[in-house]
Amino acid sequence: MKLWIRVRSVLRNLFQKQHVEKQLDDEVRAYADMIADERVAAGMSASEARRTALADLGGAEQVKQAVRDRRAGAGMEILWQDARYGLRQLARNPGFTVTVVLTLALSIGANTAIFSIVNALMLKSLPYAHPERMGTIYTRIRGPIASDERHHVNGEQWELLRDHVPALISAVSGIRPSGVNLETRSHAQYVRAGRISEHYLDVLAIHPLLGRNFTKAEDLPHGTKTAILSYGLWHSTFGSNPNILGKAILLKGEPYTVIGVLPEGLTIPLSADVYTALQPSRDGEGAGTNFEAITRLRDGATWQEADAQINRAWSLRTNRYELEDNPGAQVSYYSVPLQKGETATLRPQALALMLAAGFILLIACANLAGLTLVQVLRRTPEIATRLALGASRWHIQKQLWIENLLLALLGGMVGVATGFLALRGLIALLPEHFLPVADVSLDGGVLAFTFLISLLTSVLFGMLPTLTTRRLDLRSAIGSRMTTGSDHLRLRQALIAGEVALTVVLLAAAGLLIRTLIHLQTLPPGFNPNGVMTATASLDDARYHDAAAFRKLLSESTAAMRQIPGVEQAAVGLSLPYERSLIMGGISISDGKEAGQKAMADEVYVTPDYFAALQIPVLAGRSFTDEDGPGTQRVTIVNREFARKFFHNANPVGRHIFEDMLIVGVVEDVAMAPGIDPIAPLTNESTMYVPATQMESSQISVVHVWFQPSWIVRTSGPVEGLTAQMQHALASVDPNLPFSGFYSMKDLLAKTLATQRVEVALLGAMAALALILSAVGIFALVANIVAQKTREIGIRMALGSTARQAMVHVGATGAWSAVVGLALGLVLCAGALRAMRSVLYGTSVYDSRTILAVVLMLATVTVIAAIAPTLRISRIDPAQTLREE
Amino acid sequence: MGPKQANLLQGTLDLLILKALGAGELHGLGVSRRIEQMTQGTFLVKPGSLFPALHRMEEAGWLSSVWGESENNRRAKYYRLTRAGKSQLEVETEQWATVALAMANALKAT
Repeated sequence: MKLWIRVRSVLRNLFQKQHVEKQLDDEVRAYADMIADERVAAGMSASEARRTALADLGGAEQVKQAVRDRRAGAGMEILWQDARYGLRQLARNPGFTVTVVLTLALSIGANTAIFSIVNALMLKSLPYAHPERMGTIYTRIRGPIASDERHHVNGEQWELLRDHVPALISAVSGIRPSGVNLETRSHAQYVRAGRISEHYLDVLAIHPLLGRNFTKAEDLPHGTKTAILSYGLWHSTFGSNPNILGKAILLKGEPYTVIGVLPEGLTIPLSADVYTALQPSRDGEGAGTNFEAITRLRDGATWQEADAQINRAWSLRTNRYELEDNPGAQVSYYSVPLQKGETATLRPQALALMLAAGFILLIACANLAGLTLVQVLRRTPEIATRLALGASRWHIQKQLWIENLLLALLGGMVGVATGFLALRGLIALLPEHFLPVADVSLDGGVLAFTFLISLLTSVLFGMLPTLTTRRLDLRSAIGSRMTTGSDHLRLRQALIAGEVALTVVLLAAAGLLIRTLIHLQTLPPGFNPNGVMTATASLDDARYHDAAAFRKLLSESTAAMRQIPGVEQAAVGLSLPYERSLIMGGISISDGKEAGQKAMADEVYVTPDYFAALQIPVLAGRSFTDEDGPGTQRVTIVNREFARKFFHNANPVGRHIFEDMLIVGVVEDVAMAPGIDPIAPLTNESTMYVPATQMESSQISVVHVWFQPSWIVRTSGPVEGLTAQMQHALASVDPNLPFSGFYSMKDLLAKTLATQRVEVALLGAMAALALILSAVGIFALVANIVAQKTREIGIRMALGSTARQAMVHVGATGAWSAVVGLALGLVLCAGALRAMRSVLYGTSVYDSRTILAVVLMLATVTVIAAIAPTLRISRIDPAQTLREE
Repeated sequence: MGPKQANLLQGTLDLLILKALGAGELHGLGVSRRIEQMTQGTFLVKPGSLFPALHRMEEAGWLSSVWGESENNRRAKYYRLTRAGKSQLEVETEQWATVALAMANALKAT
């Protein structure tokens, strides 16, 4: 009730101001009139009565003001007045206002966009019920080789986790989705399949839209073949058929019974079109760490209990791979939140980008501080006049702060729009499924963040100028036409130097990333990537579990492709250069002085023309031929790295591995995505190639679960409709085998280096933004000096100085701050860039070429920004300038 | 400050205004006169204090106002106590009595 009365008063005072004022005026006047009436009645003259009555009143205007000051909402009204005054000030200087708002929009926009990603990756809860109860398991190893990270788990670990850790509901899945063939009545299509264990959806707290999750029986090895459809596949391929449950679909060449359909718009760590039961065991796939575990804390249990149970269960294992080659290591396991586990690899990058965005904000603030300082100096006479007329310093300060705040909020609003656009662009730039989150949005958290940094910027750039008004000397300020204190100039130079220093760091960081990308893109590939077209198909299919069927498919399809006019070579390989490949552990070297040693290498099955099609040079021995078949001597070809690593660079041709597998050749290394030791995005890993014809049925069915082989054709020139003809050639052998897509080697390289390209694009954009802001800062500094010193320059020129000398004299002020900033920036680089070491390849942190490029770029921009505004000097007419005084 | 005037204690003015209006509605000058009369001339409330206080108390919901004719046909704004104002008067009277008694006792006990 009381609140309502108060609110009503405030509203009336604000919005019925005229009426309220009129009543106040009437009331006060009535008071004086009544006193005057009494005095006239008592015999005083009318004019005397009126005069004394007004004197008794103590000034009508003062009384009214006293009432106004006590009125409800008085503070708000004064604020409103100040804001309107501020807006008028901003409107009066459109150039200044637009510069400030644009600068803020760009810097706040950059921060908003980057923060949205940080927010989606790290701050927002995962979109599941009780995300705080979801986790995954980290393995901490202390010892000669220490590590602390999420490991994949093997079948034994999974069984122990499932059976001996009652505090958790646990589930495992394949590490990444694979490609499989889905045949419907009309056509066959290539879809992404995820393999998940029982309870996987329970851990995520996802309830199927139709049907149910996999049962324990279905998840046992050789259990019944069942499938759960994603909403998208159910909708697109099965027309949202509500009676789909219990029906069989032809997946991987076999009937799978549909037991469930997932709801729309889900985020699942293992994103796929269709899910089948993982059916994990300790053998086969489960003998290695090929599963990814997720967990959910059961009601009433604690993470401490869960961790204790995991450690107890996993310490008793017979085969502890963590201890291999790491004697005396201490291994412990602990749960981490699922979100951390899922985003761990992206976090450092996101934080580094956030830091870069913060730099941009600081640079913008330094610029704006300089600009507002000039603006306040220009207004010194006005401010001095207001002070002289009785405004309190507090009032002046408040006025300036309000103007800064208005600017910051205006910039913030435009910044949100800019950030939204930047974010759209950024997401378009990212490869599909790059971020492990469903969407990145400008939600309340992001908007609150933007609002906060708007406030922060207004404080940062507003602080300096407002402080200067505190030292304003009234008499000299009113007297002088323009104040250009040298300490103000020094201050602005320092600001410019600071922003240039930050720009140097960003430029150098971007430069190093660019060098890394160039290094990776221009690595000698070891083959000829031009004129090659590749296509991938899934052989994780019942029709090709048999080696003979597999051999027939490869030989007939490559033969058909060779018939395409313009095609010179056609081949098939399990994996391609630039891609990950299958890792084969436990390779034993069987003879010679290295006999008995164990090796680990990538293994790629290939058809005989693989090396010819990719033009991988054969360095020693021979290539595979059609003679290498299922019944003949088992043979292999190794790459140069394999020979270097396991045979000490000796020619290994004629030696044996795996007892009876003869090394018949050595080929050049090719650049590939690392599988064994991820030291760089592209490496030369030791690799053994085997003839596809010598693969056994058991091997074939296992490797095709993880890898989809590629068909390769080399053409002499561009071939019209090549991809359609390739699909046609494959269909002539198997009409129900679809290609997933067609890729040139350039596409594959781009896919492998996607992270690096995104990093370069983002940091490059920010460095460019920083450079532009710095250039604007230097330009504004010199332009102001020119405007302020027109008279001094006029006198100098009248005394015989040339325009060129005057230009150098003024421009040097800007150039000097840039030079100081550059030096400071290089010192900063020495410390800050060391943090980048882990993302740099083929270049060191202190790369002289990068530094040279940064210095040159900055020098060029500085010279342009410092000279452009001095061009006005040449138009200064000394006579006219002096006459104006 | 003349011999007839004493400093108004913080909060005293509100109580005096409430008391002055306790007998019935008055305009601004009337309130001022009534206070002077009630305190036998000890307190003279100047318009510079009176009007802000009246407006503030009206905004607080203790007073309501109407425009009316004064004795000599001037249009004047008349204030009267609202129900909240009446209870406020009771509360403040009680408080004042407590304070006054305490002060008197304190000053007596030398």
